[in-house]
Amino acid sequence: MTSDALQRERVGKSTAITVHFIRRELRNRYLGSVSDGLWTLLQPLMQLAIYGFVWTYVFKMRPPGGDVSPAAIVPFLALGVWPWNAFSEAVLRAATAIQDNAGLIGKVAFPRGALVFAASSASFLLHGVGFIVVVIASELLGVPLRLMHLPLALLAFALLFVLALGFGYLFAAVQVFVRDTSQVLAQLLPLMMFTAPVLYSRDYLPERFQAWLGWNPFTFYPEYLRAELLGVGFVGIGAQLGALALALAVLALGYAVFRRLNPRFEDFL
Amino acid sequence: MNAARNEIAVTAGDGNLLALARDLGKSYPRVFRRRDRLRALGKLLVGIDGIDSVPVLRGVNLDVVRGESLGLIGENGAGKSTLLKLLTGVLTPTTGSVEVHGRVGALLELGAGFHPEYTGRDNVAMSAALYGLGADELREKLPQIIEFADIGRYIDEPVKHYSSGMVVRLGFAIVAALKPDLLITDEVLAVGDESFQKKCVRWMEDYLAHGGTLILVSHSMYHIQKLCRHALWLRQGEVAAAGDVFEVTQAYLAYHERKSVAAPDRSIIAGQGVEFHLLGLAANDMEQETPVFLNQGDTLRLTARVRSRDGRPPTVAFGIARADGTAVYGVSSEMDGIAPQRLDAHTWVAEIVFDDLSLLPGAYTVKAHPMDTEGVRLFDTIERGIVVRGSTREFGLVRLRHRWHDASAQVMAQNGADSASSSSS
Repeated sequence: MTSDALQRERVGKSTAITVHFIRRELRNRYLGSVSDGLWTLLQPLMQLAIYGFVWTYVFKMRPPGGDVSPAAIVPFLALGVWPWNAFSEAVLRAATAIQDNAGLIGKVAFPRGALVFAASSASFLLHGVGFIVVVIASELLGVPLRLMHLPLALLAFALLFVLALGFGYLFAAVQVFVRDTSQVLAQLLPLMMFTAPVLYSRDYLPERFQAWLGWNPFTFYPEYLRAELLGVGFVGIGAQLGALALALAVLALGYAVFRRLNPRFEDFL
Repeated sequence: MNAARNEIAVTAGDGNLLALARDLGKSYPRVFRRRDRLRALGKLLVGIDGIDSVPVLRGVNLDVVRGESLGLIGENGAGKSTLLKLLTGVLTPTTGSVEVHGRVGALLELGAGFHPEYTGRDNVAMSAALYGLGADELREKLPQIIEFADIGRYIDEPVKHYSSGMVVRLGFAIVAALKPDLLITDEVLAVGDESFQKKCVRWMEDYLAHGGTLILVSHSMYHIQKLCRHALWLRQGEVAAAGDVFEVTQAYLAYHERKSVAAPDRSIIAGQGVEFHLLGLAANDMEQETPVFLNQGDTLRLTARVRSRDGRPPTVAFGIARADGTAVYGVSSEMDGIAPQRLDAHTWVAEIVFDDLSLLPGAYTVKAHPMDTEGVRLFDTIERGIVVRGSTREFGLVRLRHRWHDASAQVMAQNGADSASSSSS
């Protein structure tokens, strides 16, 4: 075999394994039984209905920009909650991907990064389905989204995936050595959510706090999605480039740490 | 040292050398507390290699060429599985290097890579992906795998409902379908039932006959001798012996037999006050403590020198026992009516020769005892180890003279008689 053919075989092997892990991941979570398949569709709708109710009638929040209908709060929230769900679940699942598969890692040689990749992408795939449901629901509610901008929104989603994957590689590797990493993450992620404009708009904050949100790496995503799809607010090119650079930097760092620790996983699992 | 540098390199080889290990070693870190793990993490991240660790494998050199069949033997914890894991790339070596060329099929442990919640069919698909099989390749091979595994309707049940034998059947079936360049299996034959073991052995023999390469770990010397041409004996993480399968397995068995006998009290009875004591015992003129090696059918000459306090002639008894103590044969000079030769006033020599030694390969102990002139009282004992080498697969201690009832000759004779009778009628 030439080294070219071998390289191709290795790449093919990694792809086959990754696809397989993703399928398994999806099945593990929701698609185990018939009702669970339905649940993936119902769950985002129910969550959205409850959020809309609470935000409209309990917190009496109006979507920013005076001229929009009160029902617009629903897509407004959706554009914060869905990316957040995808992101936080991807990071949390990826963080334990290596440890959860210790049995496999100790017995079979395969590219371990595929486990992290599969855990992250399965979360994004599932929440992507939820997101589509939300878009349809929003249309039905009479709050049309700017669907022309959907490709841009999907690009933002892809970038968010890159960011989540970077954190995923990082924490999955560290989790092997420090077993409470995932617990700490589970505590820290809600803090990250509340310090980003997921459930609110930056406008609602007092002026002096508004700039602080920029420090949260997640802030860009709901603001960009709302600007593109709802026409609420504005995200400058600087913020876009910053988000791109950050996501790539996190992925580079996370993958570098993962690669360095990878040969010793088996010793510490 | 950068760990990444030691990654197993799967590169294109010259087609003949499938696996190559040089000074291969593996240590496991000693980590018990959280602080140790944190420190290890820090050291690995900055690239310092100072983690307190226990070596489990040291200085292993290995060349596996295409068509080779190598048996790995050794006690539990000797490092066999670690070596296999290093070869398959599951583990990264701590020292040295390992290279593997070609497609490796590995059966490392019972149900390796199987998920208990999924059906056999799903797990086959998973394993196939792990081995790098595409979907179409899998579709083509699935019937073959299911047929080889032969577990009936269980193929569609979760693996957690399987017996251990069924898990092995399925695992082996997958590897068999892969037709790997190098097959690495770790003591899996022991789990299957008799008929499946036979099926596996048959498959492996066929695989080897068609140029396959095998590395087999087994505690069954029968399987090792049947399937392997060479053997490697690991003891406490190091290579104790390597080479021809019969020599290595016999040395290994001999070691076990010696180990299972309680350390004998070799202190020679002090000369004072004893009527007869031994000055020495030589096997084929060698008086060393280490075993004397000879081949099946060789001549064994035992020479005992006895000191007689009163100058009376001693009776000398010789015995052969297997290393675990089972007596094989014993005889004394008095029984055969022989008198030892006198060297000087107090020293006598007795020599016994076993021509065409019929002991089967294995480790034995030869003993000499001086007795009084009447052959009644026994005074002293010296033992020597001998190892008989050979490549027979006969069982037991000695080859008994035997002959087979010659069926074909019988049939021929019968035919001859028939034709004779027909021609006469």
